[in-house]
Amino acid sequence: MIFSTAGSALFFKQTIWLIIAVIIAFIFSKISPRIWLNLAPLIYIGIVLLLLILLFTQEAYPKRWFKPGSISIQPSEFAKFATILFLAGFLAARKKAKNFSDILAPLFIVTIPAILVFLEPDLGAAQILFPILIVMLYWTGIPGTKIFIFFSPIVSAAASFSIYVWVAYFAALTIFLYFHKQLSDFIYGLVSNFLAGLIMPLIWNSLKGYQQQRIISFFSPWVDPRGMSWQIIQSKIAIGSGGIIGKGFLSGTQKKLEFLPARHTDFIFSCLGEEFGLLGIILITLVFLYLLYRLLVLAKETKNRFASIFVSGVFAWIAYQTFLNIGMTMGLLPITGVSLPFMSYGGSSLLACFMAIGICLAISKSKFRY
Amino acid sequence: MDKNLKKFKLLRNIIAVAFILIILSIIKLQIIEGKKYYRLSDRNRIRQKHIPAPRGKIFDRTGIEIANTRPGFYVSVIQTSIDENTLKKLTHILNIDEKTIEEKLKIQKNPFMPVKIAHDISYKQLSTIEENMDILKGVEVGVEPLRNYPYGELFCHLLGYMGEITHAEMENNGNYSINDYIGRMGLEEYYENHLKGIGGIEYIEVDAFGREVGKIAEKRPTPFIYGKHLYTTIDFALTESLAVYLENYEKAACVALNPQNGEILVLYSKPGFDPNLFVHGLQKKEWQILNNAPDAPLYNRAIMSCYPCGSTFKPFVALAALDSKMITKEKSFTPCRGKYRLGRRIFKCWKTHGKLNLIDAIVYSCDIYFYQLGSFIGIDTMFSRTNKVGFGKKTLIDLPNEKSGSLPNRQWFEKQYGKNWTEGHIFNLSIGQGDLLVTPLQLACAFTIFANNGEIPIPHVKKREKHDYHLTTISKEAIEIVKQGLKGVVSFGTGTLTRVENFEVCGKTGTVQNPHGEDHSLFVGYAPSDNPQILVFVFVENAGHGATVAAPIAGKIMKIYLLRESTEHHAKKT
Repeated sequence: MIFSTAGSALFFKQTIWLIIAVIIAFIFSKISPRIWLNLAPLIYIGIVLLLLILLFTQEAYPKRWFKPGSISIQPSEFAKFATILFLAGFLAARKKAKNFSDILAPLFIVTIPAILVFLEPDLGAAQILFPILIVMLYWTGIPGTKIFIFFSPIVSAAASFSIYVWVAYFAALTIFLYFHKQLSDFIYGLVSNFLAGLIMPLIWNSLKGYQQQRIISFFSPWVDPRGMSWQIIQSKIAIGSGGIIGKGFLSGTQKKLEFLPARHTDFIFSCLGEEFGLLGIILITLVFLYLLYRLLVLAKETKNRFASIFVSGVFAWIAYQTFLNIGMTMGLLPITGVSLPFMSYGGSSLLACFMAIGICLAISKSKFRY
Repeated sequence: MDKNLKKFKLLRNIIAVAFILIILSIIKLQIIEGKKYYRLSDRNRIRQKHIPAPRGKIFDRTGIEIANTRPGFYVSVIQTSIDENTLKKLTHILNIDEKTIEEKLKIQKNPFMPVKIAHDISYKQLSTIEENMDILKGVEVGVEPLRNYPYGELFCHLLGYMGEITHAEMENNGNYSINDYIGRMGLEEYYENHLKGIGGIEYIEVDAFGREVGKIAEKRPTPFIYGKHLYTTIDFALTESLAVYLENYEKAACVALNPQNGEILVLYSKPGFDPNLFVHGLQKKEWQILNNAPDAPLYNRAIMSCYPCGSTFKPFVALAALDSKMITKEKSFTPCRGKYRLGRRIFKCWKTHGKLNLIDAIVYSCDIYFYQLGSFIGIDTMFSRTNKVGFGKKTLIDLPNEKSGSLPNRQWFEKQYGKNWTEGHIFNLSIGQGDLLVTPLQLACAFTIFANNGEIPIPHVKKREKHDYHLTTISKEAIEIVKQGLKGVVSFGTGTLTRVENFEVCGKTGTVQNPHGEDHSLFVGYAPSDNPQILVFVFVENAGHGATVAAPIAGKIMKIYLLRESTEHHAKKT
């Protein structure tokens, strides 16, 4: 796919990265996972420092890459890996976690790299960390309802843009909290949601039109001169025109004639759809699905808490990013600027994913499992 | 383990649902709407290039091309590919300002489609652009067929010109695209559908920047269909000679036709313009100069100018009187002593003629006779007969913008002047002055009644197999009598300068009063008097008496034509 979308030079580079990644994954799979538990804090701090250095040294905007020579390294990808690792260790250390206070520290752990990445700016990579956090919290044992209530003010803020939606949401929330029968949750839930719903519109309306526009477009990193909707349309055209069997390898006209921008990174799924049609898509999607399924099973069956939570984090990472990317190319989700794991062009992403997979392999092989 | 299992199941189910949603959406996109998206991807990359069809040529009656096509080079740009530098260079090379280019670009809503910004560039400009093609981004040159008028002003009003189509016209008619030309004025407008071919379509593959990448092999181009040629009855040589005779006069009009079948030989109006100017896309300034010029060069005087036709109206008054049997040819009135008193007003005649009968009155063009004649027969009779003959009505010639002139009747006078309109108005009417307004074509056609003994052909410029006629019910005797008068005009009356050797000419002179300057000179006549071949009407503004200027010119025209026809006829016989 890389070959057909980006030409031979990038294909070559990506192949090199792939080889390196596979080798590293292989190496990792031989290492006992316990080592990672000890290394995790170091790695995490290292990444945070790296991100800081990135922010202050890089000239070009956006400041997402280090570029020694002709290689570019994207720390935000490794940040995902490091955060999951450290978070897994941290969560595993706590005995029983089930209230709000247990959420705060992990939240803090995640927020630091998230902010640093966000400032690059790279919203896509930054926001991924939060759903991963939620899944890992859930997997640790914190009840889903608690998690939901904790984060519910965000939902309230989002709903506050439409008075009807917000009222409906708030009513449903109240009913839910009532039956939840936990006073502290009840109070927290209602108060925080109410405030969020109140403050959000106030802040938004106090902004001038152009400021609002800037924020909107900032959250969509792909501001193309021809307009964002252009990309989605072109992406859908690419996928839709592929039909069942696609136009054939290297024959995608949308990409060949440059109608679809960023075809080798974020929109590679569209090219897949154009060139290989429904069959190609189903095939690749099934492959992804299988990977996720295996990860989930591994997470379930692993006894060691650290390992189990770590795998759940990897699962969340790949699942969320994959579905986000695919949904974006199909126009179901807004443009978020995340690439398709393993398939999109990008050495750092590939390497980081493989590193995580390598550790998972080690986990599955080792005694941690049984 | 149990806890894990529950969580596992939840996450697994979420993923499963997401997956199903994705697959469903994919199915929607690729299968249900697949064709639509395929078409869209094609629409992205396939551009339909319009191939303009060459316009039909226009020929005179002998086969000379008076309008044809020639190739011209145009320059077009693609908005998304062009940059500031290129724009500046183009304005320099093509000598047009940036504003004009920007206005043209604005009309084209699709920024990837090329927009023509300059037509008919010179070879020098073309080669300059070609040389600099590597630094000029988004610029294309091409060839297109342009309308060409080899004789410029000579047929400008008859033919009209080609103008760029307006947005409104394009919306109303589906056969045109944004850069097309459409005929305006004259034959070009009237026979637009006949002359215009149907453009072809070429399928070009383009990339996201609108640049042409190549032709599409799978889609064969639709060939264009040539416009049809137009064969006219116009006589080139005659028109050319006329132009020479009118050299010294600034404003004039002339209509010459075959009175027996209505074929138009000459339709000429002066001053004119060069229709080739419009082909290049007239700048707004130039158009306004032409449009607002005081001598109205865009005006086709032959079918649009309305003048009082002066004494040339007298034969028709006579005709009305005879046809209604109110008088005989012997009828006479108070003799002409140069002045006639009506109430408090004095009406003059240009000469003192003494006592005259009808025929003499025509021959010597006596105003005072006709004042009385008109008054005698009354407005109703005058109106009904002259209206039958064609005054106040369009001739229905195959040209646009013909005017119908104005023939007043009782109601018209009442409306215009109130219930107290006077005989004086009829006086003026009887000698063709005052409120009567006639176009040269109208008068020429009306006059064919004398040449044709009662039938008036419908005039036409396009050659036809069959000819159409109005059958008037004017009595043949009346016509005969007036004809005698017309013969006399040329033999020994006011129109002797029209005489052509060996051919008997009939006609009538006229002088139109002009309060602002010299009077206008008119003559209408035909020859030979039996079996007429040609009828000519000449109108020269500010040239004085009809007899002195218009008549001789008409005579010369008739002479050329008749001599030529008779030698050809002779040649055919031997």
